[in-house]
Amino acid sequence: MAKTIKIDPVTRIEGHARILLECDDAGKVEEAFFCVNELRGFERILVGMEASTLPQVTARICGVCPTAHHLVAAKALDNAAGVEPPVAAKLLREFMYMGHVIHSHALSLFVLAGPDLVFGLDGAAATQNIVGMVEAEPALTKKGLRLRSLGQKINETIGGRGIHPVTAVAGGISFKLNDGQFTRLQELTAEAVILSNELAGKVKGLLFGLLDKNPVLLEKLNAPSWYMGTVNGGKLNLYDGDLRFMDEQGTIQGEFSSDSYRDYLVERAVAKSYAKEVYINHAGAERMYRVGTLARLNVVDGMETPLAQAEFELFRKNFGRPCHNAVIQMYAKLIELIYACEKAHELINNPALRGDTRVPATFKGGRGVAHIEAPRGTLIHDYEIDAKGIVRSANMIIATQQNTAAINKSLKEGANNLKREGSDEIMLNALEFVVRCYDPCLACSTHAIGRMALDVEMQHNGKTIRHIRRSF
Amino acid sequence: MARALVVCIGNDLVADDGVGKAVHAGLGKSRLPEGTRLEYLGLGGIDLLEELDGEERLVVVDAVQFGSAPGTVHVLDWVGLPYMEPRPVSGHGIGIREAIEVGRRLYPERSPQHVHLVGIEGRCFDQLGQGLTAEVEAAVVVAVAAVLRLLG
Repeated sequence: MAKTIKIDPVTRIEGHARILLECDDAGKVEEAFFCVNELRGFERILVGMEASTLPQVTARICGVCPTAHHLVAAKALDNAAGVEPPVAAKLLREFMYMGHVIHSHALSLFVLAGPDLVFGLDGAAATQNIVGMVEAEPALTKKGLRLRSLGQKINETIGGRGIHPVTAVAGGISFKLNDGQFTRLQELTAEAVILSNELAGKVKGLLFGLLDKNPVLLEKLNAPSWYMGTVNGGKLNLYDGDLRFMDEQGTIQGEFSSDSYRDYLVERAVAKSYAKEVYINHAGAERMYRVGTLARLNVVDGMETPLAQAEFELFRKNFGRPCHNAVIQMYAKLIELIYACEKAHELINNPALRGDTRVPATFKGGRGVAHIEAPRGTLIHDYEIDAKGIVRSANMIIATQQNTAAINKSLKEGANNLKREGSDEIMLNALEFVVRCYDPCLACSTHAIGRMALDVEMQHNGKTIRHIRRSF
Repeated sequence: MARALVVCIGNDLVADDGVGKAVHAGLGKSRLPEGTRLEYLGLGGIDLLEELDGEERLVVVDAVQFGSAPGTVHVLDWVGLPYMEPRPVSGHGIGIREAIEVGRRLYPERSPQHVHLVGIEGRCFDQLGQGLTAEVEAAVVVAVAAVLRLLG
């Protein structure tokens, strides 16, 4: 008889996201499901809105990655209006975006994953958080948070507002750099490059230490899949380029422009979750794939900036191509963080940043599709806009939807290989660890404060046979 | 330097999660004591640290799910502030207490001595594009009054 273990640890909102494990009689996990809410409601409310408001409105979907939505919406509007923004506008948007990526990756590495690196998997859960990390590694945490703050300041200066940027518009950006901002931003990006370089050694040391102590992480958390990410001339690009996909052997199987995403990607409704899963449709078969930092570094041939390239070469040498290991996402994130800092510094010193930033854009009726590499993976916005400039339909493909199938596979592996007899705590830690490696976006937006305990329910024939609750 | 900082948090695109924004608007129309700074954030957590500027007092306004009747306004001091689940898996999961504890350790000069949460019990958090539920709408004035009382 099958048993079901249900875990509701991963959110503050009831029913927002949970983990469900279906076990056989011997307790072996047969299937794992990471269940997330859907974004469909959001797509629905966009219908009937004025298209020109999309960059502002979609930025408010999510408090974690507002700039990704803001910019991809503006890019989709460029395409719908059939205009090409001036060079300075594209550079300023990319610069704003580097600020966001620095902020997001630093938060993810130092605040969310940091405690895993510092405490490992066996520490007491109560101290394994950012507060415990500040006590254990105050200098590292302070530098990590400073880096995050630098990214936020860059994002805010160009984006006009800290939380939800407002400056990107169809046809460019409603922002021009003045001399004071230029000098200030030069200082900020220079500091970011230095800080990221200083932090790199420490983060790597902690990660490799964790892997040495827990060889099971390297041996068992390999979930082979296909990968997708954006390349420009073969190199990593987070703001623009073509989507490249690779099979689980590491062979590049194709590249496409996001306006033809429907020819390459298929959305599937699945049991157990409201979110649709997405697969690559290639040569008549549907392939499970991953997006995000690890996927991007698997598909690219190299990095544009020198420090990131040096680190990338080490990554390739140590972990191969493709690297299937979810834990190594942390290393990939570090390399992208270094890249974003270097790229930001390069962009602010580019004289072309000072040119015209906007061309007129009007909607004549038609479709606008664009994508961006959101911190957690490829984000696609697809709008149908009528001749009056009103949104008639909208579709979004977010990173977590694309990763769900792989998260489930990693959870199954993790549950079977990391659980130890008699210790629920260690298994729970391990499962949360797996989810955190993917740093999923939990249907964005909601965040009310609640006392949500870690809840594990084991079911047998539909009846609860055991209930484990993690206390505070 | 401001004496008090009020930070209202919430996403007004998501039903009762928007109550922070509504209270922010209400406070914007009220007469706040001199030296009070009023801010709005889409998400709390670590972002809260950026807002701190050495104010003595911090009041955070946010939607909560503590299990009371919808529309209940909770006023909690530091001792009463809840702990988040031990480990968040996303940026959505870092609490006020955790953020302030980090602030007190790393940036003591910017961190407030007195911290209060004015939490409005919500009912609906999963409907995009909807306004506040009636109970929560009615609680906005109560929450505004509670903040003004804390500011003295």
